[in-house]
Amino acid sequence: MAPSAATLVEAPLQSTVENIETNFQPFYVLHKASSRKNSRKSNLCGKSRKRTKLSPSGPNGIENLDNEEPDGSQLEHLRMECLELVWSKLETTIKDVLRDTNVQVFDDISRWVYESFAAIRSSGTPSSSSATRPFPTFTRAECKVLFTGLVLTKNMEVVDDLLTFEELGFHLKSHGCHVASLSSQELSAKSSIGGCIRSLLRQLLKVTVDAADMFILASWYREQGYYEKPVVVIVEDIERCCGSVLSDFIIMLSEWVVKIPIILIMGVATTIDAPANVLRSNALQQLCASKFILGSPAERMEAVVEAVLLRHCCMFSIGHKVAVFLRKYFLNQDGTLTSFIRAMKIACVQHFSMEPLSFMLARLLVEEENMDGNCASFLEVLPKHASDLLSDSRYSLVEGTDNNLGNILSELKRWRKKWSIVVLCLYQVGKFGKVQLLDLLCEALDPQFFKPLTSENSSRLQQEQGTSFSSSYELPYQFSSRKDGYIYQVVRKVRDLPAEFLHQLLMSWEKITGCVPEIHQNVKDLLLAFKLGNGKSSEKDIADLSKRHASRNGLFVKNSKPIMEKTESFLNSLVREHMRPVECIPFHELICFKDVRKLQLALIGDPRRRIQVDLLEFQKIIKCTCCSENMNSLLPCAHDSTIMYSLAQEHGDLINLHDWFQSFKRVISHPQAKGNHRTKQCSTPKKRKDKPTVERKSNASIQARFCTAVTELQIAGLLRMPSKRRPDYVQRVAFGL
Amino acid sequence: MSKEEDTKATRRTTRSSSAAVLRDSGEIKKKCGPHIPTFNDLVFGEDNISKEDLLSNFPGRHTQILELLNLLGPLNSPMLPLFVYGGTSTGKTSVILQIFRHLNRPFVYSSCRTCYSLRTLFESILNQLLLHEKDADNGYLSAKRCEKTSDFVNSLREALVKVVKTLQGNPGKIGTKKLTGQGHGHMIYLIFDNLELVRDWDKSSSILPFLFNLHEVLNMNEVGFLFISNTSPDTYYSNMGYLDPIPVYFSEYTEDDLRKIFIRNQTNQEMYSSFLSVVLGPFYRITRHVNELSIAFSSLYKTYCEASDDLNDVPNESSKRARFSRFQPHISPALNQIFKISSPPSEVNNLKEAKRKAGSKKFGGCDSSEHLDFHMSTSAKYLLLSAFLASRNPATLDASLFDSTGGSSSRKRKKRPSEKSIEQKEICEQELLMKGPGTFPLERLLAIFQCITSVAEISLEDDQGNVAMDSQNEDSELMSDVLLQLSSLCNANFVVKGGSCPLEGSTRYRSTVSEDMALKVARSIKFPLSKYMYRR
Repeated sequence: MAPSAATLVEAPLQSTVENIETNFQPFYVLHKASSRKNSRKSNLCGKSRKRTKLSPSGPNGIENLDNEEPDGSQLEHLRMECLELVWSKLETTIKDVLRDTNVQVFDDISRWVYESFAAIRSSGTPSSSSATRPFPTFTRAECKVLFTGLVLTKNMEVVDDLLTFEELGFHLKSHGCHVASLSSQELSAKSSIGGCIRSLLRQLLKVTVDAADMFILASWYREQGYYEKPVVVIVEDIERCCGSVLSDFIIMLSEWVVKIPIILIMGVATTIDAPANVLRSNALQQLCASKFILGSPAERMEAVVEAVLLRHCCMFSIGHKVAVFLRKYFLNQDGTLTSFIRAMKIACVQHFSMEPLSFMLARLLVEEENMDGNCASFLEVLPKHASDLLSDSRYSLVEGTDNNLGNILSELKRWRKKWSIVVLCLYQVGKFGKVQLLDLLCEALDPQFFKPLTSENSSRLQQEQGTSFSSSYELPYQFSSRKDGYIYQVVRKVRDLPAEFLHQLLMSWEKITGCVPEIHQNVKDLLLAFKLGNGKSSEKDIADLSKRHASRNGLFVKNSKPIMEKTESFLNSLVREHMRPVECIPFHELICFKDVRKLQLALIGDPRRRIQVDLLEFQKIIKCTCCSENMNSLLPCAHDSTIMYSLAQEHGDLINLHDWFQSFKRVISHPQAKGNHRTKQCSTPKKRKDKPTVERKSNASIQARFCTAVTELQIAGLLRMPSKRRPDYVQRVAFGL
Repeated sequence: MSKEEDTKATRRTTRSSSAAVLRDSGEIKKKCGPHIPTFNDLVFGEDNISKEDLLSNFPGRHTQILELLNLLGPLNSPMLPLFVYGGTSTGKTSVILQIFRHLNRPFVYSSCRTCYSLRTLFESILNQLLLHEKDADNGYLSAKRCEKTSDFVNSLREALVKVVKTLQGNPGKIGTKKLTGQGHGHMIYLIFDNLELVRDWDKSSSILPFLFNLHEVLNMNEVGFLFISNTSPDTYYSNMGYLDPIPVYFSEYTEDDLRKIFIRNQTNQEMYSSFLSVVLGPFYRITRHVNELSIAFSSLYKTYCEASDDLNDVPNESSKRARFSRFQPHISPALNQIFKISSPPSEVNNLKEAKRKAGSKKFGGCDSSEHLDFHMSTSAKYLLLSAFLASRNPATLDASLFDSTGGSSSRKRKKRPSEKSIEQKEICEQELLMKGPGTFPLERLLAIFQCITSVAEISLEDDQGNVAMDSQNEDSELMSDVLLQLSSLCNANFVVKGGSCPLEGSTRYRSTVSEDMALKVARSIKFPLSKYMYRR
């Protein structure tokens, strides 16, 4: 089925792929069109051929490159190219996923917009000449309501939704509405109503008028074709708007709504009663609200994770600790998709810049896209160099396998396919039990669970399976899930599934496992057994079941018991056999990013703590000899603010200014420090160098330096200036440490 | 007939001829051709109505209409400025506009709501007087740029003189412009609506006297002024040496008036009157605004009709009673409803809706759903809770609530209260209720945050042991971008900030979340909030 179709799709592409080393882009763009499923299926049949070709034969046009030893910069260049390729693929995947999640709601919204437009129109449109008259037209109060769509974004942070609203704007525009959006800055108390109207005019009329008013909008609307299109005004986040300005704006719009059919769309980040909290009641009663619900951030996150880490064919993956960190970061710190995507990007960049052999990913990618594999030649450039790198000590070599690059890569690929299938299968079950994909993923990536098999286990396993393992080194290890872990829960969950869910599950498995024939066969068998087990009841009955399964459940329990056990044992074996955490795969370093510290540092800067630590341990940064030698005593050559801050450590929350000044003075004019005068040049401040030879610094200059340092500390947010009540004390602002 | 009139006439002809050319050449791609303002725009325009119609259109406003007609006087009689006031939606604007429709006299209407600033107000008046309309051809510019009151007086006088001359000019000329009915007279009226909004503008203290004094400044007998406001004249006058305008008061509608208003224009009079007899009583006690009532009634009437659909249409006593008993449960929720949110049908949402229905249906009361239905990061949740606690608990109790035992000791410290202390407590309680949630400095918030996170971390680890790795870091991780979280809480209106810079001592915060909400949040992270709340 698939292969022939796939080759047809791929065939015309091959010519373009020939010159791939000069340019990635056309290759990539052309391939975007062919569906992912196709290319994945095609890999199956192409694999055998590919492997024979993978031996370093260096085909067309690369021999000359092959001769000269590639230097580091060339490698780096390759890695950067690979990074670009991988990241651009990931980015488009993420964008597609996000668009898909929103498309349904967007359609709903645009349908609703047109319904409301029809409702406005049906209540009687005034003649076009009266539209610009300054006095209100007489209609019933019901006609003066402003149709309002409340879009619940379900996330307190609005960062993700800015993009969503932008896309909503495009969507509505493409459906023939006039769209303008107002940000919270435009609805702030500072810019008031004039700012709102000006911004509306700027977006709709594309003119900037300094005396903006609604008359302009009305006459523009008449010019555009009176009552042909609705005008949609999007307010991105109602919580951040100034309530009184928004209320005034709404009341004004409602006076004009008969003349200009304006429809409001407002983003609500928190609860549905946010508009009631923000707006005044007389504005509130002008609204005729409908609500729309966007996917929750957790749902969107799941979709993105599934697409990027499981389904996506680019092999880049993350280690267990990184996954745990990302999960925690999402839950605890910053529940936005934006930060997750940023984290993925950072991970990608770090991986490709640190891992010498990471450029091999590109080769995997190319193979993935192109089943024949003969065009992946550009990456054959460095087989020798690569194997040199491979034999480097950083990769743990495994006996029993030849460390041939081709074998390694195809092994990695096979692993990846099976692993992602297992996780996806588990996720399908987990959907019924509300298990989050990220939790599952974290557990599936944990190398701790991949333990040596005890003898009794293995014998039992072999009894159960009756099959021999394909390769020798797989035998002694297996994935044993924790008793309280998510995977264990999920596997148990299968037992309790009602029949109709089980059927759904099996169907979804069949779809997922399509590309690994041995698993696929098992699923098919299960599905067959399910149908037989349910005997008389045909598939239609199963569909019916959803309606009245409560009543018929009793009947099914008996029938489906064995099949449930079978399914469970199948899932168990799936986990045991194919679930191998990435960090337990030889040469996983090629595709896996593990360095969680780097990611942490990049994402959680923790600037407050940093400032304080740096002030106290300034020697590490300045690296002057004088201070590094005697770490524990304060030297006058240190920077004033560090001296002050170190001295402040001796005080409590309140610091007596006089005491502080005295101790500062003592440190500054320390007699021992004179010996170090020569090395003073290494420290930065210029003032200090002014009169190094003058023995006694004047009190005034010390006082001035003291004041400067206090101000600096205050600016850094470590101090609070003296209050009126206690003028001789400053307070330490001591949070965060 | 003056020169100005001539130039005006020529200008008008050139304009209309150019428009005609446009039309002839068939270039009108737009549905509606450009609208050329004429003198007709200064009068109401539509066919005018008789006095009887006018009176019957506004039940309950007879005295006001007659008073206004008296004050406006017969054709061409000068008048003193009028000040029309009364509560919202008592028919001020509509009555005045309909009176002018009846009188068929030219007027200039400007609402201080649409004209949100002095400049737009001035320019809108001048545009109308000069028959200027902003459109793409003139780059959406006003006829005259006018920001200062002195400029405005000059331009206004010029424009008014021009207009009045036109009006006084021979009626034959106007007749050619197809002005029907009797002449317009040579009075022109300036109507300022929503005057109460001017008080919020900058420099309102000088604008208001200026507007009230405009009549004397211009000193033109041909100009009449009407001010419409929903607050009484006492809120404006400041004895600035101008003549007080004549007040005309629009009283609130009585229940009878409202019944007459609503019964008008109904198709099924009997049905509606029985509906009104059920509904109007309870609603009248809450609001008398026609706007609010009509919005509430329109949806209620639908349910009322549905409730009586299967009953026979003859409204006898028994069916009326049956209908009432069926309909009654709908009334009281509608009374509390300020703002109704419907959710349009959709394939995706339907499923979710079914679950959520219970929660969202009776909006206005407390949300009955158990769960927090939006995403918040854990550290934001803790911060919200600590803000809530800091607002509710007196600061003096912090030490005892958040000591190492984690709040449990506060239980033991309860004493048996004496009579006197109970009394004192009640007074305190009332005081606190009046004050609302208290304010707190940033330090206190962070201290509480640190306390409750450190307590919660332990329980968190117990709950889900699989995050046992690097648990030391966890605390600091929650803590790390706490200021960022605080700012996003402020943005979401959960915490209100006063002052500017968070590092200066002056800033104090106040939590605005309700207890329900806080409990919901606490439940979602399994935090024992009630243990830390100080109950008075």
